[in-house]
Amino acid sequence: MDKRREFESIVREYSEQLYWQIRRIVLTHDDANDVLQNTFLKAWNGFDNFHGESKISTWLSRIAINESLDFLRRNKHLGSATSDDLSVANSLLADDYFDGNETEAMLQQAVSQLPDVQRTVFQLRYFEEMKYSDISQLLDTSEGALKASYHIAVKKITEFFKSRD
Amino acid sequence: MYIQEKVGKRNPFRVPEGYFDNLTAQVLQNLPEQPKRRAKSVFMRPVFYAAASVCALLVAGAAWMWQSKTEVSPATSVQAKVENHVQQSDNEEYMDEAVDYMMLDNHEIYAYLAEN
Repeated sequence: MDKRREFESIVREYSEQLYWQIRRIVLTHDDANDVLQNTFLKAWNGFDNFHGESKISTWLSRIAINESLDFLRRNKHLGSATSDDLSVANSLLADDYFDGNETEAMLQQAVSQLPDVQRTVFQLRYFEEMKYSDISQLLDTSEGALKASYHIAVKKITEFFKSRD
Repeated sequence: MYIQEKVGKRNPFRVPEGYFDNLTAQVLQNLPEQPKRRAKSVFMRPVFYAAASVCALLVAGAAWMWQSKTEVSPATSVQAKVENHVQQSDNEEYMDEAVDYMMLDNHEIYAYLAEN
């Protein structure tokens, strides 16, 4: 199969799944779309170097998550917040492409206050119910460390809600 | 689980209508015809050679200093070994005490590292 056609079928198969992984990290649709385009551009440019060492879905997700976290670091004012302000929840509630209630917006607020690894592990485990072994391959971190990260993330989010009850 | 009871797992994010239908075409439109290979840069090559030379000099200097330090008389060497052994035992005892005091297990160490 011609290389571009092969890549086209990969885009068709994985774009939606990658979009949601990215969206849960960067939160807004426009940003998620930009990061997704960059993800596929990087994947295309590195396509010749991909020799199937890992599953293609793992390779793509790794690029997508790195791109998402890079995006957040470059735009520190977006998608991350200090413990006092509720800017993330407020902007989500005003976003046309967010139809969650206040509690769901507050969950995103709490998640946005977590460090990168905890935030990513929480999103992948809680919403996507991904196995620790798969997250371990994705983030190149041991399963034990990931379980600890998830446990801490859950504890912090629980405390966030309880302190506001 | 508290969070699940409180918030649930529903996906509250939405996308514009028909977004996923056009996504493949949109992605392909933004890709160059051929993957861009990263060209090897010759611009920084002189800087690279200079840095490599400095590193080589540092390694050679360190090796020379280490060699001259280890050339000691047999008497001094025995004394040094005894002192070293005493020092090492002290260190081990200190580490054991510290670990007992902290009562850390692997899980907590992971948790601590993950938090930082």
